[in-house]
Amino acid sequence: MWTIFRHALRRSRGQILGWGLVLALLGAWIITLYPAILSQGEQYRQLFKAYPPEMLAFFGGVTDLTEPVAYLDFVFFSYMPIVIAIYAILAGSGLLVADEESGVLDLILAHPISRTRLYLGRFLAFATSVLAILALTWLGFVVPLPGSGLDVGAGAMALPCVSLFAVLLLFGALALFLSLLLPSRGAAASVAGLVLVASYFASSLSRLNPDLQALDRVLPLRYYQGAAAVNGLDWGELGILLGAAALFALLGWALFARRDIRVGGEAGWRLPRARRSRAAA
Amino acid sequence: MSDELAIEVRGLRKSYGSVRALRGLDLEVRREEIFGFLGPNGAGKTTTIRCLLDLIRPNGGTARVLGIDPQADPVAVRARVGYLPGELRFEEGMTVEGALRFLNSLRGGRADWGHVRELTERLGLDVKAAIKNLSKGNRQKVGIVQALMHRPELLMLDEPTVGLDPLMQREVLRLVAEARAAGATVFFSSHNLPEVEEVADRVGIIRSGLLVEVAETRALIGRALRRVRVHFREPVEVEVFSGVPGVAVLSEDEGLGVTLQVEGEMGPLIRRLASLPVVSLETERPSLEEIFLAYYQ
Repeated sequence: MWTIFRHALRRSRGQILGWGLVLALLGAWIITLYPAILSQGEQYRQLFKAYPPEMLAFFGGVTDLTEPVAYLDFVFFSYMPIVIAIYAILAGSGLLVADEESGVLDLILAHPISRTRLYLGRFLAFATSVLAILALTWLGFVVPLPGSGLDVGAGAMALPCVSLFAVLLLFGALALFLSLLLPSRGAAASVAGLVLVASYFASSLSRLNPDLQALDRVLPLRYYQGAAAVNGLDWGELGILLGAAALFALLGWALFARRDIRVGGEAGWRLPRARRSRAAA
Repeated sequence: MSDELAIEVRGLRKSYGSVRALRGLDLEVRREEIFGFLGPNGAGKTTTIRCLLDLIRPNGGTARVLGIDPQADPVAVRARVGYLPGELRFEEGMTVEGALRFLNSLRGGRADWGHVRELTERLGLDVKAAIKNLSKGNRQKVGIVQALMHRPELLMLDEPTVGLDPLMQREVLRLVAEARAAGATVFFSSHNLPEVEEVADRVGIIRSGLLVEVAETRALIGRALRRVRVHFREPVEVEVFSGVPGVAVLSEDEGLGVTLQVEGEMGPLIRRLASLPVVSLETERPSLEEIFLAYYQ
């Protein structure tokens, strides 16, 4: 399993460095910008009063940008799930199926490695890659933190990253599960992306429209704390995200352990519905 | 299940939706033999091999590979098998050596690297080359090396010489023969009938998911129809061949020549010819290809 883990992690090193360094630079820039925001606090308060609440709802319903949690949410953590989840969804949907679609999986699984070990090794590598990206991001935030005037410690700054990690793990596991259920990686990534966007809109707009709260409760981002986690993690919400991630990972494993390894041209790529309609014809 | 058998398959069935790829396949491959598995595209050759490695799950029937049920313990089967897929693909971002070392690590580093070097040298493979820059033939060589490098007990090769030039095809056949000489069993599918004829001890012909013929390669060729052309010094009545077992007259040339079709042994015909004024005798031996095609006509 560790051979698979190391190899999969090595394959993602470019993605880890690319995402991690860009987000770290963004984080460093955000922190170094804070003193300027602080000095113009009143002007920003007036500015936000002029913005429509529907727009502000997408950025955590912020009204005072000088408040550390509101600032961190507005400039980074409120929209970051939808940005880094692109990596999580693409990596999760391709974790096994990318190699299956290219034909590489046939050769790998002809070696003495069980499907369970392959699955576990790759999933752990995916989780580690997300962790590494977020660790680099966190570093970008904490290095310029002293002297920035932002009243958040380095340890507290890690907590929104933990909440973000749980969200990304969930979307990666969901995309992985869907990739093993649906006929192709593209279909899996599209459906997982749809859930992500729906959850983002439901979570943002439910601040304005209470009718959307029922929908929001069954979608993942309702349980994402964002920058509010700097004041302490909500273990219940974190547990729901990690539990859902574990559930999708388990369902994916159950599918992978039982299904055929597909090869293009061998059929099995059509949706069951398409097969039924063909049979009816 | 017999210890004498490397592969034993009974009533194997596999469908892809409405497509029935295997329809109750029975197959036995003996230990330390080279078994050629013949059939056109879509006959079920690759499906059979993938069932034996537990890459796909059959809908019915039983299979044993080296005495092990592949579904019950696929890792144990794969540890003892070297496999060359028909649709061979590698990760593009690796070198040949990187790919071989990675695949070897999946086997717990069992391969002797000296043996790997010998194989790559014999096949003229540059281990420093990037996989993405390799031609189809060179990728096939990498596939052959990875299948052989851990000296498996059983080789499952799906079209092993496809994409190789004639010289390399011969080298691969030599490697296959050497593996068998060292105690391995070789089960390989092929479209290249002359190569099967050259190396296989036995052949099986699969058609639409069923095995339609299994025989010793020589016996299969030997018991097939032959065409015999005889020239006489003086006219001979063709009726002299009536009643000779297995012989039919195809054409005659004014009594001075006759073309016969012979099924089975040649002995009775030769005994009859001994009493006739024969000038020359030509026998056309059918190739395995002609026999194979006969099953599909």
